Amino acid sequence: MQKSPSVSMRKRITIMIVILIVCFGFVVRQLYTIQFIDGKMYTQRALSQQLKTTPITPNRGKIYDRNGNVLAESETVWNVLFSPADITDSEAKLLAQGMHEIFGIEEEVILKKASDKTKYYKEIKKRVSKEYADAAIKFAADNKIKGVYLQETTKRSYPYDTLASSVLGFVNAENKGAYGLEAYFNSTLSGIPGRVVTAKNAKGSEMSFRYQDVYNSQDGDSIVTTLDATVQQILERNLRSAVIEHGVKNRAAGIFMDIKNGEILAMVTMPDFNPNEPNKIADKEVQLRLDTQVTDIQEYNKLLLEAQFDQWNNKCISEPYEPGSVFKIVTLAAGLETGVINPSSTFFCPGYHMVGSVKKSCWKLTGHGAQILTQAVQNSCNPAFMMIGSKIGAEKFYDFFEAFGLTDTTGIPLPGEAESLYHSKKALMAPQDYENSLTSCAFGQTFKVTPIQLITAVAAACNGGYLYEPTLIKRVIDSHGNIVSENNPTPKRQVISEETSKLVCEMLENVVTEGSGKNAYVAGYRIGGKTGTSEKIDLENNTGKKEHILSFVGIAPMDDPQYACLVLLDEPSLTNAYGSTIAAPVVGAVLAETLPYLNVEKKFTEKELAKADIKVNNYIGFGPHAAKSSLQKSQLNGKVIGYGKEIIKQVPSAGTSVPRNGTVLLYTEETDENTMATVPDVRGKTGMEANKLIINSGLNIRVTGVNFDNEYAVAASQDIPAGKQVERGTVITVDFVDKNVATMWP
Amino acid sequence: MVDLTFLLLVIILVTFGLIVMFSASYANAYYYKGNSFHYITRQLFFAIIGIFALIFTANFDYHIWKKYALMIYFISIVFLVLVYTQPVINDARRWIFIGSLNFQPSEIAKFSIIILYAKIIERNKERMSTFLYGIWPFALILVLPCVLIIFEPHISATILIVGIAATMLFIGGLAWKWIVMALGGGTAVIILTRFIPPIYERFMSRFEIWQDPFKDPRGDGFQTIQSLYAIGSGGLFGAGIGNSKQKYLFLPEPQNDFVFAIGCEELGFIGAVIIIILFIMLIWRGFAIALKARDVFGSMLAVGLTIQVGLQAFLNIAVVTNTIPATGISLPFFSYGGTSLIMLLAQMGIVLNISRYSAIEKE
Repeated sequence: MQKSPSVSMRKRITIMIVILIVCFGFVVRQLYTIQFIDGKMYTQRALSQQLKTTPITPNRGKIYDRNGNVLAESETVWNVLFSPADITDSEAKLLAQGMHEIFGIEEEVILKKASDKTKYYKEIKKRVSKEYADAAIKFAADNKIKGVYLQETTKRSYPYDTLASSVLGFVNAENKGAYGLEAYFNSTLSGIPGRVVTAKNAKGSEMSFRYQDVYNSQDGDSIVTTLDATVQQILERNLRSAVIEHGVKNRAAGIFMDIKNGEILAMVTMPDFNPNEPNKIADKEVQLRLDTQVTDIQEYNKLLLEAQFDQWNNKCISEPYEPGSVFKIVTLAAGLETGVINPSSTFFCPGYHMVGSVKKSCWKLTGHGAQILTQAVQNSCNPAFMMIGSKIGAEKFYDFFEAFGLTDTTGIPLPGEAESLYHSKKALMAPQDYENSLTSCAFGQTFKVTPIQLITAVAAACNGGYLYEPTLIKRVIDSHGNIVSENNPTPKRQVISEETSKLVCEMLENVVTEGSGKNAYVAGYRIGGKTGTSEKIDLENNTGKKEHILSFVGIAPMDDPQYACLVLLDEPSLTNAYGSTIAAPVVGAVLAETLPYLNVEKKFTEKELAKADIKVNNYIGFGPHAAKSSLQKSQLNGKVIGYGKEIIKQVPSAGTSVPRNGTVLLYTEETDENTMATVPDVRGKTGMEANKLIINSGLNIRVTGVNFDNEYAVAASQDIPAGKQVERGTVITVDFVDKNVATMWP
Repeated sequence: MVDLTFLLLVIILVTFGLIVMFSASYANAYYYKGNSFHYITRQLFFAIIGIFALIFTANFDYHIWKKYALMIYFISIVFLVLVYTQPVINDARRWIFIGSLNFQPSEIAKFSIIILYAKIIERNKERMSTFLYGIWPFALILVLPCVLIIFEPHISATILIVGIAATMLFIGGLAWKWIVMALGGGTAVIILTRFIPPIYERFMSRFEIWQDPFKDPRGDGFQTIQSLYAIGSGGLFGAGIGNSKQKYLFLPEPQNDFVFAIGCEELGFIGAVIIIILFIMLIWRGFAIALKARDVFGSMLAVGLTIQVGLQAFLNIAVVTNTIPATGISLPFFSYGGTSLIMLLAQMGIVLNISRYSAIEKE
């Protein structure tokens, strides 16, 4: 029998157990440290490697015009991605083929990406529509290719393409506003991004278990602008043709404003660009110049960037210019308000005005002679306005300049509004310069304001004296259509009294009916306005001749002024060009189209009524006699062709506007007779001549522009080009301008 | 009658181990083996064989081991030599492959040293305080296997064997003077390594990583960091069984040495402490059996087999929790490994057999 365990053994076993328990005690203490004291830190670090965060991009808000037309919206698109690490070579080959079929991507491109086996994220195609995305996923599923997936994202689109591009701006590749309203209201539009947190394994793919946390995104708010797509289109169309026709070198700008509240209905910089592809140079000539004349790649990139910045620049707010005679409205208002002049004040213009010892010429070197204030405004007489300036005095002149908001930015909600350049009060009042600067300022020279500042000041002069902050925003709505905030325009201050404003309006109406603004006349509407032709004093072109800015501001309707439209053409390629001849017709054309659209009631004078157009009724199916007498009743002539019992065709067709006493051809049977006529060339002809030519060709004439019985009216353009074969009876619209305006008023 | 408490503890630990290992291996098995059940089906199979082995050894008079102790020792030496003919895996030759079966000869060496020590301690019981009987034969037995294992290389197994041997000698009645000298000698050896640059540098790099695993988060510190993430994520109650996230390929080979970390993540501090208590109870019960054994051989055998489990469990958990510098030791009952589980259960059977004889004597 062996000896059983001894007492000493029992003791040593006890010691051993104690040692082991102490050792395990250290381990438990360590566990406590890891799981409680540092637990949070480890958990966080573990989560950061275990969780995959997929951002949910919020939908960017839309931009609407005032009538709810969508100017900018975001569509949901998909990025198609794949994970090279998760596909085999044969799958990659199949995938490349499939993607080539769906997207037209070269197979090598996919294969090259697929060869990078360490990557889990490679793009197949970015920003595709749902059907393409679905097609790609279906292909992968059908062929059992793992690791092809989609990523939702958004793409900004501008349904009207170039419309209001300089106002809307655009978004950059990160979907962030880069220019215009998109930039100014970026935080409003962009919303709050959300995210989906899912668990992943160490290889990056999602795990089979149920851990998923979703933090919803909050969509951006939408902006309802004060823009009116139709008015914007009209202004753009007219400026586009003016830029082409007159070879405008430094772009044209136009603003259409509701002067009763400062809301901008249209704002144009022309040439424009397409915000759907903002980096593309929209001006083909500029692109062509870049392509053909620049060979150095660095130089090319630099010039390309410059050209891009140029085309994105909103001329209406960021380029101060010398306003020239348009500014006389402000001087006039200040003079009338201070009481230093009244409508019957007389001025004598000998063709110049002496300021101290300096002789400052009138634009009309022979002088305007004696004139009352109304005439001086009509004539846009510089000496008269120098005298008005002197009468107001430097201090008060400056005060009004400031009160009309010309020393401050207007606060229009757009990025990059420029500040004006002007003589400080101190400089204007300095004795050594006394009256020199003041008199120049009085007719709009030697200082610079932006177009938006000028139209805002003009609006205040014409709306009863209230200076508004020009605005582009009607309201902000959330993604469910609830109103977030509403913009209620309130005037900043009253600059002049309502009576003074009324006087200003009367004189501005005279400018259009009798004076330099005749080319802005629109039959049926009472329109006021002021021309401006300013020399760019600081710039001389290479021939040593100074470049010009031609401008015109039109206001309508003058019995209750509501709208103002300013147009300026910077550096037209014309000699002897003036605001009166070039800019005024543009404004006239814009008003002629926009005022009916804006439901401004037509109020014809009797003289106008006699020439007003008549809409032709439908006579098809009528008996020839009944048709003829009906036409006569509406002061039109009917000419029956053929011997049928009833009218089978009429030219012009029903609904066409035909001038009074125009002729409607009524066909009662098919005829071999030549029904076509050749359009004559009436450009440059007087009203009488043009009328005769067109009537004799068997066509109807419709007249737009200035009063065409005015002896100086000449046809400037016709809507159907000369030489074209048209059906007899077709209405040819001829636009008349006053050719004499050029010599009478700049 | 066998010691039912010990048996129950073994059964609980095996079951617990299987559940935790299954959960820990699930994702890895799916990703690398294409079948989530790859490890658990195998481990379950080995556990069943192991239970049969346990039943067999529990009913088999343990004195047979005394009889064949020297033979088993020499067989283990043969295997330890044969291991050098085997292919290198992870820079070491630790496994012997026979067909589809594989095992570590160091495990057999460990077992053979335990029985041989128990036998010699019994024989030299009264002379343990002398160098000739208390030190010399034991040192002689230990040197050859340890040298062979060190050069596999398999440092952790060497540490384990030396630890088991030292504990057995200590409980077997080694004189205090030798113990003090051994401790002094051990310290001297550690200090000596300071002047052997390759070993010192290896040790220092381990030491630095232990101090701050984030020094090399993608390299040597990686496994420790992932282990800490898992344990730290567990908190008090854990994520719940099956809910570990770290097992999704973050923690390398979660079914092996680091299975305890996943256990901590899923069962929390409470679960971890329960596992530790189960091991302590098993050790306590094993020692109790040793004290009640009817002879010194049985007593020392029970001590050796028990301390083997205890030491291995402690070293593993200490490494997983970064309490000590990293070394590769698996967690008994929990870590994946077929032959070692079978051997472990068979050894637990031997302890049960020892308890049976003590019980008989009591009656």
